[in-house]
Amino acid sequence: MAGPDTRKTTGSAAKPSLMEFAGERLGRGLLAIALPLAVLVLWQLSGKNGAVAGGALPTPDRVWNAWLVWAFGKPGPMTLSPYVGTWADAIYFSAMRVAKGFGLAVLVGVPLGIIIGWSRLAASMVDPTIQWLRPVPITAWLPISIAIFGISDFGAVFLITIGAFYPIVINTTQGARDVDKNWIRAALMMGASQWDILRRVVLPAALPSIFTGLRIGLGIGWTAVIVSEMVAVKSGLGYVLWDAYYVGRMDIVIADMVSIGLFGFLSDWAIVRLERWVLKWRRLQNFNQ
Amino acid sequence: MGTISLRGVSKVYGGARAVTALDHVDFEVAEGEFVALLGPSGCGKSTLLNLVAGFEGLSEGTLSFDNAPVTRPGPDRGVVFQEASLLPWLNVWENVVFGPKVQKLDRSDYEPRAREILKIVGLEAFHEALPVQLSGGMRQRVGIARALVMQPRALLMDEPFGALDAQTRLSMQALLLEVWQKLKTTVLFVTHDIDEAILLADRICVMTARPGRITRTIPITLPRPRSIDDLTSAEFNRFKALIMAEMRGGHH
Repeated sequence: MAGPDTRKTTGSAAKPSLMEFAGERLGRGLLAIALPLAVLVLWQLSGKNGAVAGGALPTPDRVWNAWLVWAFGKPGPMTLSPYVGTWADAIYFSAMRVAKGFGLAVLVGVPLGIIIGWSRLAASMVDPTIQWLRPVPITAWLPISIAIFGISDFGAVFLITIGAFYPIVINTTQGARDVDKNWIRAALMMGASQWDILRRVVLPAALPSIFTGLRIGLGIGWTAVIVSEMVAVKSGLGYVLWDAYYVGRMDIVIADMVSIGLFGFLSDWAIVRLERWVLKWRRLQNFNQ
Repeated sequence: MGTISLRGVSKVYGGARAVTALDHVDFEVAEGEFVALLGPSGCGKSTLLNLVAGFEGLSEGTLSFDNAPVTRPGPDRGVVFQEASLLPWLNVWENVVFGPKVQKLDRSDYEPRAREILKIVGLEAFHEALPVQLSGGMRQRVGIARALVMQPRALLMDEPFGALDAQTRLSMQALLLEVWQKLKTTVLFVTHDIDEAILLADRICVMTARPGRITRTIPITLPRPRSIDDLTSAEFNRFKALIMAEMRGGHH
């Protein structure tokens, strides 16, 4: 019995081997897909002739086949269905709108949040207005958005910007307010101007909160793009979702929903990676505590 | 007038129950002098330092530095904070050159100086390290280097070694003695540690709380250069007995 014990001790004292590392990653990966897999199997088994719930929903294999056609099908001259080979376009339109709207929200929200957090005057001037407007849900902005921008791309971008703006500005404000007083004093003592303080002290100190706001804002951005495309624009995942429902293509509806989830997840993952890289100093701090 | 000069300075913190942190304090520090403010916590010694630094405004009296009234913080008064207060997202080198950089000084002017100072404080091998990767003593060395690199007219040190363990504190005191004996900068040093005050200072001002006042000034005539070996000398203990009696209120 001594043999395996010794091996185990030396194994954990040294760096974990590549095999152990891969094994751990694989184990976690299996755990993560167990639940969706179980749902898929149940869903598939409860269907008859490719339909569930009395024909209201298709089974997963039907969804998969519909997606294959939607993503990779080659439309011929006689093709009438819009769901042949147009998946990438739908993704592209939606993602571009999210990118534009979210980018605009960051450009406005971060500087504004820093100023509100830093200056009491700015806080008393702007903060109450933001707090009054915030409870208005993005869906309530739809009529105004259509009235101003019509059925155009910018209507969707406008809605995404509004949705992502609030969490970004509020978290940035919080971060800028919580800056350690002595960091500011140290910078002043070293001859920093107000601008230096904002850029070199308050902004980096607020970055952890800013990233929290970015993640929440991006999530709302995806909600906003779907809502606005369902109503106010004639392209993208949200448009396909509603259009497919009208023509009774629930397989496309479900494939569309999975696509939204996937790309929402991927964009969030990208922000988390960026955060890890930018906030290296903070990661080290947390490990040491 | 000295480099630092306070005349009838009071500091009252407002609010429902106003607290008088400093009550008509007269205080001077001469050019090149090392003065320690010694007293229990809450006696207003840090408040006095913050006023000199320009971090807070006074309620009454006049406060001048180099014969000009103090209105704001500036690089002529290098402050060393108790917890170092380095910017955690900047590495050691970036923290040290932060001052000269925001003052838009010439790189060729401050970079050799920054390298030299980091060498003096024993951190030449740690330019790339982040503050979180350093020990408390090393962080405080960076805090001192960051102040010295600006070539300030005075160093204001607010219990800089108060958060360190006894061993590290001794080595930091030795380092400060060495550096000060070389540079002879004016130093205002706030502490509650009697040994530290005697070892370092030319003059100790003993403060009492509520209201904050300087009750006695004691010149420390121990010969220079000093070292931490002086901590056990008979002369040192004579000063220590005197100050302990003063702080207990046992005089007159």
